[in-house]
Amino acid sequence: MTRQAFLARLRDGLRGLSPQTIDELVADYETHFADGAAAGRTEAEVAQALGDPDRLAREIRAESSLSRWRDERSPSAAGAAVFAVLGLGALDILVLLPILMGIAGALIGLIVAVIVCFFAGAVVFAAGPFMDPPGGPLTAVLGGLGLMAGSASGGALLTIVSIGLMNALVWYGRLHYRLLKPALQS
Amino acid sequence: MPEAIEIQLKKGALELCVLALLSQHDSYAYEIASQLSDSIGMGEGTIYPLMRRLQADGLVETYLEESPSGPPRKYYKLSAAGRRSFTSQQAAWASFSGAVNHILGGAK
Repeated sequence: MTRQAFLARLRDGLRGLSPQTIDELVADYETHFADGAAAGRTEAEVAQALGDPDRLAREIRAESSLSRWRDERSPSAAGAAVFAVLGLGALDILVLLPILMGIAGALIGLIVAVIVCFFAGAVVFAAGPFMDPPGGPLTAVLGGLGLMAGSASGGALLTIVSIGLMNALVWYGRLHYRLLKPALQS
Repeated sequence: MPEAIEIQLKKGALELCVLALLSQHDSYAYEIASQLSDSIGMGEGTIYPLMRRLQADGLVETYLEESPSGPPRKYYKLSAAGRRSFTSQQAAWASFSGAVNHILGGAK
């Protein structure tokens, strides 16, 4: 592979990162070719020693999504991290995917249930004094409050579980870097 | 898969090796990469993401220095935090590899 082909494929693969990061990375590898040439190596030799530019770009992009999840616990960061792990193309992702979808489905179901519970509680709480519920208005108000508090704590628990699962997935994804150092300790 | 294990071992030791090289003298990426690929057989392409991470973690600092040929070169040097990290990782490595060697020696 020539210098130009390597850099073009790398730049292509890095798309999605900030333009400044891409420029810096490409400049780094460009310097590497220049230094290699000064040391008497051909472009093909340097490209060979650097490794596959597509794989390199995928792992750099994955690492940037996974670090974003570390810094910013948002659903969009989580989604990006999941796709980054899938993009690493680990073979056993075929095994992981059904499990992952099952877990995601169950989590979404539970989240919906928690939200519904919360609003049901709110309705009971608000409507209690005006209707004539069995057990009197006070029972309805307290019961509604209890439902809302219960579902709020359920929601908090679910959030903790989801974050834990995401972290496990990030750890798993990093095991599949073939070129970058896996960040096992973090 | 002994090959996969070897790759994982090398990747784990890579950061320590880079810190060790920089603890001897400041260096630039090409020099670090060629020294490491000669002695432990790592792909040279991995060095740039690693240097970026070390820099983001505050373990290394960069400065530009005129080079005899071509544009100024980006040199890396250990920061104070990097020096501390190297010392503690070096000690951890020594005790771990000592323990593994001891067990391997006993398994002959």
